[in-house]
Amino acid sequence: MTARVAAPLPPATTIGPVGWLRKNLFSSPSNSVVTVVMAILLAWIVVNLGAWVVVQADWTVIVSRVPLYIVGLYPYEAYWRLTICLLLISVLLGMTWRAWPDTARRFSYGFGAIMLFVGVFPHEMAPVHRALLLLNLPAIGLGYMLTPRAGESGPGLLEAIAGGALSSMLDRAAVRLATAWCSVVRALLPSLYGVAFRLATAWCRAVAALSRMLDRVAIPLATALRRPARALAPALDRAAIFSTPRRMLTAVVVALVVTMILILGIDGVPGLDPVAPQDVGGLLINLLLAFFGIVCSLPIGIGLALGRRSSLPVVKVACVIFIEVIRGVPLITLLFMSRHILPLTLPEDLNVDRVYLAGITITLFSSAYMAENVRGGMAAVHPGQAEAASALGLRGWQTTLLINLPQGLRNIIPAIVGQFISLFKDTSLVYFIGMLDLVEMGRVSVQGNQEFIDNGREVYLFIALVFWVFCFSMSFISRRIEGNLGVGRR
Amino acid sequence: MTRLLYVQGVPIWRNVVALRWAVQVVSAVVVLSTIALFLLNVAREIEARDIPFGFSFLGRAAQIPIGEAVIPYDPSDSYLYGLIVAGINTIRASVLGVILATAIGILVGVARLSPNWLLSRIALFYIEVFRNIPLIVQLLFWLTIVLTLPKVAEGYVVADTVYINNSGIYLPWFEAQNGFWPWALITAIGAALAVYAFRRLSRREIETGQPSYPLLAATVIAVGLSLVALLILGPLAIDIPQIEGRFGRLQGGAQLSGSFMALLVGLVVYTSAFIAEIVRAGIQSVGKGQTEAARSVGLSGMLTLRHVTFPQALRVIIPPLISQFLNLTKNSSLAAAIGYPDLVSVANTMTQIAPAISLFMIVMVSYLSMSLLYSLIGNLYNRMIRFKGA
Repeated sequence: MTARVAAPLPPATTIGPVGWLRKNLFSSPSNSVVTVVMAILLAWIVVNLGAWVVVQADWTVIVSRVPLYIVGLYPYEAYWRLTICLLLISVLLGMTWRAWPDTARRFSYGFGAIMLFVGVFPHEMAPVHRALLLLNLPAIGLGYMLTPRAGESGPGLLEAIAGGALSSMLDRAAVRLATAWCSVVRALLPSLYGVAFRLATAWCRAVAALSRMLDRVAIPLATALRRPARALAPALDRAAIFSTPRRMLTAVVVALVVTMILILGIDGVPGLDPVAPQDVGGLLINLLLAFFGIVCSLPIGIGLALGRRSSLPVVKVACVIFIEVIRGVPLITLLFMSRHILPLTLPEDLNVDRVYLAGITITLFSSAYMAENVRGGMAAVHPGQAEAASALGLRGWQTTLLINLPQGLRNIIPAIVGQFISLFKDTSLVYFIGMLDLVEMGRVSVQGNQEFIDNGREVYLFIALVFWVFCFSMSFISRRIEGNLGVGRR
Repeated sequence: MTRLLYVQGVPIWRNVVALRWAVQVVSAVVVLSTIALFLLNVAREIEARDIPFGFSFLGRAAQIPIGEAVIPYDPSDSYLYGLIVAGINTIRASVLGVILATAIGILVGVARLSPNWLLSRIALFYIEVFRNIPLIVQLLFWLTIVLTLPKVAEGYVVADTVYINNSGIYLPWFEAQNGFWPWALITAIGAALAVYAFRRLSRREIETGQPSYPLLAATVIAVGLSLVALLILGPLAIDIPQIEGRFGRLQGGAQLSGSFMALLVGLVVYTSAFIAEIVRAGIQSVGKGQTEAARSVGLSGMLTLRHVTFPQALRVIIPPLISQFLNLTKNSSLAAAIGYPDLVSVANTMTQIAPAISLFMIVMVSYLSMSLLYSLIGNLYNRMIRFKGA
């Protein structure tokens, strides 16, 4: 029988928070200097900025004009139609949450929090609209309920609460705190080691007692909760109607069509009076243009990329010229063109609103960049893939569509989403052709009102924050999709 | 009769050559007829509405003011000259922007990889904030910051030479004196010598493995020669800006107007966030094995960086970097929003009295030639760094 000797602990200065600090912030003298300088700089910026945001800044220019920034000159009587659209989006969000829990959960929380904030925040708003905004929270829940759980995801929210997750969380936190405490004291005052150890032991014992007490409450509660949850489960399963990809897709398409109808209205239907396209403004027009552009630019871009890879000279040359000319000039010149020159190229009796002209221009601009991304992704697919495909008897177009294109697209997910993000950012340029988007609304607020002439910083910070939230969310989703498709791991 | 449709026993609708021709002809017809339709519509509109067209206006006096110009400009100068002045403004903003954005981008990208957690997080924050906000919003924001600076009379003065106020920044600048050209010649010779020394010492470093400090030697040769000549010939005088006249206008020195500063800061901050990501990805793309191999054959840390890591990272960094330079140049057209007279902004002002179609053709051709120039540089570089013997 070999005697078991406990392995000696690593030195106190290499583990725990102290070890972390030494390794990441103070690993060498120069590193320590950098840390201190950066910390001082950061503190200075945070304090000044915080003081400005809380004390000096005057946010009336934002709070008093929120609808203008969000929907522009959209008629007030029709606001309810937009809130219905939001409800539809909430249902879709809940659906995504259930089907794809690890990513969409945070978005649902964020979206719900924003709705709650806007719905409760004390500012001028009709009670009906408040109620409709708050309805978004149950709408997310509805979407969640109507979708069956994806195969191997973690426990759902109800299950987690019922499983006593709270007490285990407390346990974990207590142990971590105790470890941290030990390592701090051991590192700082080795002579006081005994005292500290005794303190830590006492602390652990107290926490253990606390968590036992909590368990005594949590376990009966969990059992009580589990019973109705189990009874409800079959009913919930039956209610989950979005059970196949086709049904989900149908739900998405129906929601989008209804959204478009609600936003633009239909002539002659009472309650759905059409809204002039130029009255749709603010963030809404940025989102609509970006959505339209994202949906259309990917297929057009793929088509252009395939054309550029084609062995037919005429097709190839036409695609190359289109792509390179569009990529070579700034978007603004194209937008000016679409305002001054594009109307001339259309038949006389065709009167197109400039909202659509801007949408088409942005889409074409984006699809030229998309085409180059797709081409790069397809070029990175190993030629062996195509050879294997033709050895199996696939034809040229089958090889392209079934082998090269899917693998090529998987290669460039970050580039595609990056293009979507820059498309969304580019929608802020439509104000050059006189559309009242979010940026132009901000500019008008500042430069068109004597009382707000000094509030430029507040306005542009607010607009920057709005754009940032959308763009950062998109890049977050892209990283998740990449992870889920296993790029770089197979 | 149907025999005629068969070529060597294959029906013509299954014959690859015939099908390819058919697709080509059809697509050519579609493309050409679309273009023709557009052109016909434009021609009809030009005729019907009497829209001016052509390039004869270029020689006439432009009659529009241009806020700031590097070369002297007067509203009585021609349209063509006005466009050239505006084009130089665009180039000025782009060149300065490219240099500064590259410098800051490299700094932030390297900071992103720093073992110091705080520094790396701050760099990440910088990147994620500035590349996810549209440039136009950033420009408008910086413009409001510049406009909140105090007036000329109450502006900040640094060391009696640098003036910062709401009309811009005024810096001391050089003024060429008598000995300028000899000095420039000597400096050029020094630069050539420095390049030669750098190559020679670099080769020795690679052959012997001993550090021979080529960068240091080259810098000493170039800077030293230039400085000595500067002291002997005295070719440059320094022009310090001063407040003059009753209206307190600043005269002399180099002047960077408020909108130019806003444009430059916006372009640099926005583009450097993208460049930082490119630099980070480039450095990370060099496999760990490369560094380990270099260390195991006895290269020091500095030599490893210079001869192993950096050249390989550069191969990955340069192509996207050049496309960022092109993006910056194109983005400088947003100057129109903050009142800096760049090419697009001036051309847009001119459309009030001159034919819009011709003007925008000129603008598009200018930008296309700039982007061609960039892709030429990119292609040259790609040819230079191609794996030899591959």
